[in-house]
Amino acid sequence: MKPPPFDYVVADSVEAAVALLGQSAGEAKIIAGGQSLVPMLNFRLLRPALLVDINAIAALSFVEDAGHEIRIGALTRHRQLETSPVIATHLPVIAEAMGHVAHLAIRNRGTIGGSLSHADPAAELPMLALLLDARLEIASGGGRRDVAAGDFFRGALSVALDDGELLTEIRIPKLPAATGWGFAEVARRHGDFALAAIATTLTVADGTAVDARIAMTGVADRPLRATVAERLLLGQAVTADLLERVAAVARESVTPGSDVHASADYRRHLVGVLVRRAMDEAWRRAQRGAA
Amino acid sequence: MTDAAHLRPKMIGASVPRTEDARLLTGRGAFVDDRKLPDALHVAFVRSIHPHARIRAIDATRALAAPGVAAVYTAADLEDVVPPIRATSRMSGYYATPILPLALGKVRYVGEPVVAILAESRYLAEDALELVEIDYEALPMAIDPETAARPDAPLLHEAAGTNILLTREFKRGDAEGDIAMAPVRVKGRFRMRRRTPAAIEVRACAADYDAGRDALTLYAATQIPGILRDALAQIFDLPGHRLRVVAPDVGGGFGGKASLYPEEILTCLAARQLGRAVKWTGDRVEDLTATSQAFDEIIDAELAVDSQGRVLGLTADAIGDVGAYSIYPWTAALEPVQVVSFLPGPYRVPSYRGRVRAVATPKAPTGPYRGVGRPVSTFVIERLMDMAAREIGIDPLEIRRRNLVADDEFPYKVASGLVWDKSGFHACLEQACAAIGYDALRARQAEARAAGRWFGIGIASYAELTGIGSRISAAPGMPINTGTETASIRIDSTGAVTAAFGVAAHGQGLETTLAQVVAEHLGARLADIRIVQGDSDAVGGGTGTYASRSTVLAGGAAIRAADGLREKVLQVASHLLEAAPRDLVAADGRVTVVGTDRSVTFREVARAVYAEMGRLPPEAREELAVTRNYDPILGTTSCATHIAALEIDPQTYIVRIERYVVAEDCGRIINPLIVDGQVHGGVAQGIGAALYEEVIHDENGQILTGSFVDYVVPAAGDIPPIEVVHVESMSPTTLGGFRGMGEGGTIGAPAAIANAVADALAPLGVDVFELPVTPARLFRLIANAQARS
Ligand SMILES: Cc1cc2nc3c(=O)[nH]c(=O)nc-3n(C[C@H](O)[C@H](O)[C@H](O)COP(=O)(O)OP(=O)(O)OC[C@H]3O[C@@H](n4cnc5c(N)ncnc54)[C@H](O)[C@@H]3O)c2cc1C
Repeated sequence: MKPPPFDYVVADSVEAAVALLGQSAGEAKIIAGGQSLVPMLNFRLLRPALLVDINAIAALSFVEDAGHEIRIGALTRHRQLETSPVIATHLPVIAEAMGHVAHLAIRNRGTIGGSLSHADPAAELPMLALLLDARLEIASGGGRRDVAAGDFFRGALSVALDDGELLTEIRIPKLPAATGWGFAEVARRHGDFALAAIATTLTVADGTAVDARIAMTGVADRPLRATVAERLLLGQAVTADLLERVAAVARESVTPGSDVHASADYRRHLVGVLVRRAMDEAWRRAQRGAA
Repeated sequence: MTDAAHLRPKMIGASVPRTEDARLLTGRGAFVDDRKLPDALHVAFVRSIHPHARIRAIDATRALAAPGVAAVYTAADLEDVVPPIRATSRMSGYYATPILPLALGKVRYVGEPVVAILAESRYLAEDALELVEIDYEALPMAIDPETAARPDAPLLHEAAGTNILLTREFKRGDAEGDIAMAPVRVKGRFRMRRRTPAAIEVRACAADYDAGRDALTLYAATQIPGILRDALAQIFDLPGHRLRVVAPDVGGGFGGKASLYPEEILTCLAARQLGRAVKWTGDRVEDLTATSQAFDEIIDAELAVDSQGRVLGLTADAIGDVGAYSIYPWTAALEPVQVVSFLPGPYRVPSYRGRVRAVATPKAPTGPYRGVGRPVSTFVIERLMDMAAREIGIDPLEIRRRNLVADDEFPYKVASGLVWDKSGFHACLEQACAAIGYDALRARQAEARAAGRWFGIGIASYAELTGIGSRISAAPGMPINTGTETASIRIDSTGAVTAAFGVAAHGQGLETTLAQVVAEHLGARLADIRIVQGDSDAVGGGTGTYASRSTVLAGGAAIRAADGLREKVLQVASHLLEAAPRDLVAADGRVTVVGTDRSVTFREVARAVYAEMGRLPPEAREELAVTRNYDPILGTTSCATHIAALEIDPQTYIVRIERYVVAEDCGRIINPLIVDGQVHGGVAQGIGAALYEEVIHDENGQILTGSFVDYVVPAAGDIPPIEVVHVESMSPTTLGGFRGMGEGGTIGAPAAIANAVADALAPLGVDVFELPVTPARLFRLIANAQARS
């Protein structure tokens, strides 16, 4: 478990990083927290010729309240998200979910940009990006572009980033007033990747749902939204019966895989259970918020 | 008794903080990998990617030419140099597989070492691994032990003529007949899945070669430096004074470091041949795939009781999946045979028939694992006890009360031939119940059930044999003696005490407990005592630390040697103090004339013997050193009752253990802190076996659990607080009254948790026959039960 040989350069700016990536014709890899990359190097699953270290780019590490949206630098550590007052105020579902990501030592290193770019099919942040309609800012030698979270995740460990591109920033619109949220996860042990996890938001006006979102991770090759189930909630007051139907529809919408940790059937079962729990939480919070 | 002796705090029984912890907890421990051998070559192994294949050809020319590579070894290079070693035994029909450092002709499990590459660094060695080309011809194989046991199964070892490496049977009375006539019978097919020790420190070894003496020192992360020394001396035909094996600080073993490994042989060979130090530090993948594994048994068992719940008869047919080789020195008998010999447990079982087959499959060999056999036997008999109690409608506590061997029945001969000496079977049961508040807990359960919650309580009682002497062997006629231990205690010219043993602590705190025993019996100060162990040079012959032996055997030897040395000290002091030895007492590093304030220190005694000319008559100048052996002949019984209370989330099937109580009898306690720590650690491992840990192979023989992502060990947050009650009954059969207690936690916990899970799910008609009972398994069990009803 030693990595194959590679060169290593510390980039001190976004421009320097993308220049290095551009010069290396697909042979370079960015290293951020290294928490997913280094194991893959040690297993020799990746053989980059060059590692471009972006940890010195201070400009990539921030959480900022930009009025209608929250801006998060790609190098922001999981632990910063977990403890940021801005996140706690505006996107508490992220703070809650981060407590389920790995362990403190890993959260001190791991970054949001690394998690989204790595796109583990059971990771929390990709699900949250999808839930919260995040936009991802991407830089390259050719300039900048941005892409919606829904278009970013393409499969297991596969995202819409070309060689030479660097994820720089994540922008998340603030949630409307009277929006509740929920998060529910089952993992073998605390801090493990989820067997299944669900995050929800629910916006309520006059006692009924005007916007409902359900995002799922661990149950497909990428995070998913349960769009059909979401629509069942619109215009409705949430009751136990309705929750049951929403959960059933969400459950039937997924065809998860089996692995050593859980069978497909068990994972699908969990989707139903967790959707019910997470949406129930969102409903309760929304009502408290609306009151 | 003198005043001094009265006032002196007793060392045996004191909660002395572990003396080794200062160095271990501040990062000053020295493990094998910390040993910097200048100029060492580093080994990496090409390991088999096939479970069973013929090796047609190996081409390592490109690897040999790679940067930094000094040598490449294949089995062909070893043929006339390293004779195979076998774990021999007199068991009839047993086949001892030959063990070689590198696969010869065939590979027999994924992870088996095939080619060794030695390079200037492990990085370069791993780069060169990729350049080795091996032409394999995949062979048919039976990965499932029952299939492998069939006569037409593809053979792993052609010379054996079968995959069944051994068969054994234990029998008392006519169990089948008794069961047939019994009013109540319960039975099941029990499965305990394969697991791996997963010590924090992976295996590692480093051979240092002294060309001037043609001598080798092997630093090894091992529990058995003495056994390794003897085996390697045999393989390389070297006298013991040119082959030393040192186990420095070792970060856990749990049995996984208690066997001889191919990597150790290869490292020594290469160091000698190349005339350079050679180091191998395994990585986690190597550890999870090629360290000895454990359990993996299928047991068909049936228990019969009368209408009062009294046991009438028991039968069991077990298949032990022992993997590809019969591990040295323990043999493939170790785990499976103990499953059937311990199956009757601490109960009165009038008739018994237990049969076991050890079956070779293309998986890593199984070997010793904390609890050996007994975690599995306890799981089976304790489940059967609960099933029988439910069948006749009595409480699980009551059926144990009725069947545990009673205090006046000791020594009790177990149906399989073992003998239980007097031990607190009933006391443990009653005290565990008192500690957990059993009746109140049952009341709570009734409330929880009424509210639709899944709340369960599980009891497990067990007995085990520890501190085993020379009359009992894991496999009759195996190549080592596990039943004797040596203590060699010396006071040097500064008055310091050095006590050397053949044991090899790897987390147990023996540097502390053995020093406590020596301090008390010698009359020395704890601070003046150094314990030397984990070194084959420490005593003439030793084995190591395993099988809950060290406190009983080394403790007994320490008592004998320390008593002998105290006599010597008193002799010298009697010259110095001009008093008869019988009027002297040694305590706290000082010899005092009883009833006076006249005394000399150990230091003064030592100076008189070694350094002061003419102070003593010549015949009184014997070295202040005594070496004694101790052999407890049979061993002694340890026992415990575990009670777990847990709740299962009725939707996610996640199990949360709420309370966990252990009442255990390990005889006279030397250090309660250390006993608590051993119980806690053991229970944590048992929780792993019950709920989390499983080595998984797919149908193609590939191992799916080669990293800690997929092999799930419980983390600190998954372990509940554990309450420990000590039932301290002196062992009648051992010197000092000590009983072994290193393994018990792991023995009781799987059974207690299995019973608690089954109890929680009883209203659904779900029973537990397979461990670990993961949430995914619970999901299936419950879905099946719902489909049935
Ligand atoms: C034991 C353990 C448990 C874990 N448990 C969880 C868990 O429960 N949930 C969870 O979500 N995660 C978990 N993780 C993963 C952890 O969250 C990682 O930190 C995260 O997945 C990757 O972040 P990183 O900054 O370490 O990225 P790195 O490892 O540095 O990089 C990962 C990948 O992203 C690329 N990359 C990194 N930054 C950028 C960028 N700005 N632009 C473009 N590409 C980039 C890299 O080139 C690489 O391919 C766990 C990790 C470990 C070791």
